[in-house]
Amino acid sequence: ENSPSPLPERAIYGFALFLGSWFGFMLYLVWAYVPETWLFSLGLTYWPQKYWAVALPAYLLVAIGIGYILLFGINMMSTAPLNSTHNVTDNYAKKQQQKKFQEEAIPALRDIPISEVNRMFFLPET
Amino acid sequence: MEERRYRSASGAPIALRRRQHSASCRELAVRCPRLQLRSLSATTSAVWLAAYGLFVLSENSMVLSAAIFITLIGLIIYLHFVKIDQESLLVIGSLGIQVTSCYASGKESTAFIEMGRVKDVVINEAIHMQKVIYYLCILLQDPGDPQGVSEVVPLFQSSKPRLDCLIEVYKSCQEILEQRKTAPQSS
Repeated sequence: ENSPSPLPERAIYGFALFLGSWFGFMLYLVWAYVPETWLFSLGLTYWPQKYWAVALPAYLLVAIGIGYILLFGINMMSTAPLNSTHNVTDNYAKKQQQKKFQEEAIPALRDIPISEVNRMFFLPET
Repeated sequence: MEERRYRSASGAPIALRRRQHSASCRELAVRCPRLQLRSLSATTSAVWLAAYGLFVLSENSMVLSAAIFITLIGLIIYLHFVKIDQESLLVIGSLGIQVTSCYASGKESTAFIEMGRVKDVVINEAIHMQKVIYYLCILLQDPGDPQGVSEVVPLFQSSKPRLDCLIEVYKSCQEILEQRKTAPQSS
């Protein structure tokens, strides 16, 4: 049902988007370069100021640049500090139920407490 | 008493000193590298060159005296509040754990955690400033809930030893903490 293969509908969507984006670009060029008096004489008096033809790309580029920095900063802010319990455990680990140990079966998957993990790693009992 | 050299997470040389005061009392101290003369003179020269540049631009001699003042005050604040000389951990079985930080100006700040609140001392990995580091921390428990971790106290925050040094400290602490389980509970 959900496959990434090309389909006739997708080809039509793609072509419509292609035509639409070229039309949008031509419209933007007309708005930016054609003098206002010519547009008025054609009857197009209520178009936005040409100021925005320069301002919007500038806003967009600055927003993209700030977006990189903002994303970096948001990631740093949401990282748990070293003294938070979220580095050690979480709600799912606290509420997990202990499954009964069965002989000859692979032990059930569970979150092992950090004390046990440390003992296994760093206190070799050979 | 023995002292061994290790490296911190950023590559600076640190030294770990272990002392056994008695069968159930151990002190582990990590000594950080001292303030380097070259970094101090580099910072001072940079600040004074910038101040001289401002003086040339603005012709105001107050800039120079302000720069000298700022350098002196900044150095004093750095030595007293930021630069840590030695961080030590004193583990006394059945009593508690004491964490001491000695600053370069001689100031010492200590924190004591009683053994009833200590659940375990573990080495944990966490993300810290775009790196994943190992750090030693004390897990505290609520007296009413012995299974849950109520608080985490990270240790050796400014010296940040690497895993080999942390394993030594961990083994020493665990030897003392294990005695809790075999000793008879008093409370």
